[in-house]
Amino acid sequence: MSTAGGSNPEYVTARVRARRSALYGDEEYRKLIRMGPAEIARFMEESDYEAEINALGSRHSGVDLIEYALNRNLAKQFDDLLRWADGRLYDLIARYLRKFDAWNVKTVIRGIYSEADSDEIADDLIRAGEFDEELLDQLLDAPSIEDAVDRLSGTIFGPGLEAAYDDYEDTGVLVPLENAVDRTYYDHLLEDLVVDEATQQYREFLEAEIDFRNARNALRLAQSGADIDPADYYIDGGSLFTASELATLAQNRDELVAAIRDSKYGDDLSAALDELESAESLINFERALDIALLEYTDALGHVFPLSITPIASYILAKEREVDNIRAIARGREAGLSEEQIEQELVIL
Amino acid sequence: MFEALLQQTQAAAPALEPSAAAALAVGLAAFGAGYAERGIGAAAMGAIAEDDSLFVNGLILTVLPETLVILALVVVFLV
Repeated sequence: MSTAGGSNPEYVTARVRARRSALYGDEEYRKLIRMGPAEIARFMEESDYEAEINALGSRHSGVDLIEYALNRNLAKQFDDLLRWADGRLYDLIARYLRKFDAWNVKTVIRGIYSEADSDEIADDLIRAGEFDEELLDQLLDAPSIEDAVDRLSGTIFGPGLEAAYDDYEDTGVLVPLENAVDRTYYDHLLEDLVVDEATQQYREFLEAEIDFRNARNALRLAQSGADIDPADYYIDGGSLFTASELATLAQNRDELVAAIRDSKYGDDLSAALDELESAESLINFERALDIALLEYTDALGHVFPLSITPIASYILAKEREVDNIRAIARGREAGLSEEQIEQELVIL
Repeated sequence: MFEALLQQTQAAAPALEPSAAAALAVGLAAFGAGYAERGIGAAAMGAIAEDDSLFVNGLILTVLPETLVILALVVVFLV
């Protein structure tokens, strides 16, 4: 990040649009669905993923190779975004990409908890967010969860984790720590966001993401019938539910579906909601949520071309691509049929 | 003597000579063109960094606002 302070959306948007058009389209997915893991790796080697496949090809093979190459490419692409952006734009992008910091913190904590060795944990990190290599290496070297929490004290996750650590010591389960990480991420997502015409759209996108996350959590709780207080998992900042509304709605799935149908997302999600009511399948509904969010940001990118929104739209599209390729590779490995895999994909 | 001074100010030239105003006009036009090129140039550099074949397009689009200055230059010949 430069100290000059100026924002440079023109430069970043031009680069992002070029990268976005290089993402896989329908055609490529149709080819990929018919391939085995080795062929997928080769196909990726001939496109954007060449450097990653070559770097990891000697250590891994098959689906693992694809998975790690995807993670590494994702990290590279998003690091590029942060490297290009200056000033206010950097702040706006970093807000969203902290998601990967949260992911990394959780991965490290889980890794230490399950006593995995640090090489294995390192492979699963996505080095995209704001944490630099040094901090991540320090985290990987941490001998215990207490040390890891200690080393995070300088970051935004520090205070929340320290507060949650006592809970963890009492109960011995990771839930309080993971909850603290997620909450910190979502708290900072909308914090101090200066709202003008362009960032208004960005805020709506972030709110939609939080709303969908709440809806997903509520539906999962309603589906599982577990006796958990939904308010514990409620994320602040969305516009769809309040904590108490969500707590009552999570008891009754039909009411929850009706509430979503009446909301401003009802139109986008009506097909998914119909399916949810008839088929009882959460997977299709969650996939429909992903598609709705992707379509939503895709449209946003054209409203204010020189703002954060085309970049947010690219970030989301890239994440979906990585998820899709992973789903294809894992699906083929597990021997699913082409139609079944196709159902798992999130394509516009 | 006071009268003479008053007369002198009345007879003096306007605060800005026509040629000076024309020069100012060209300067302001160039400033505007420069500001426009800043944004276009940044976007063009981004596009070229991703795809070399866009160099010619980027160059043309970047210098398009330069026409502003050329048009403003007409003023210099009119005064």
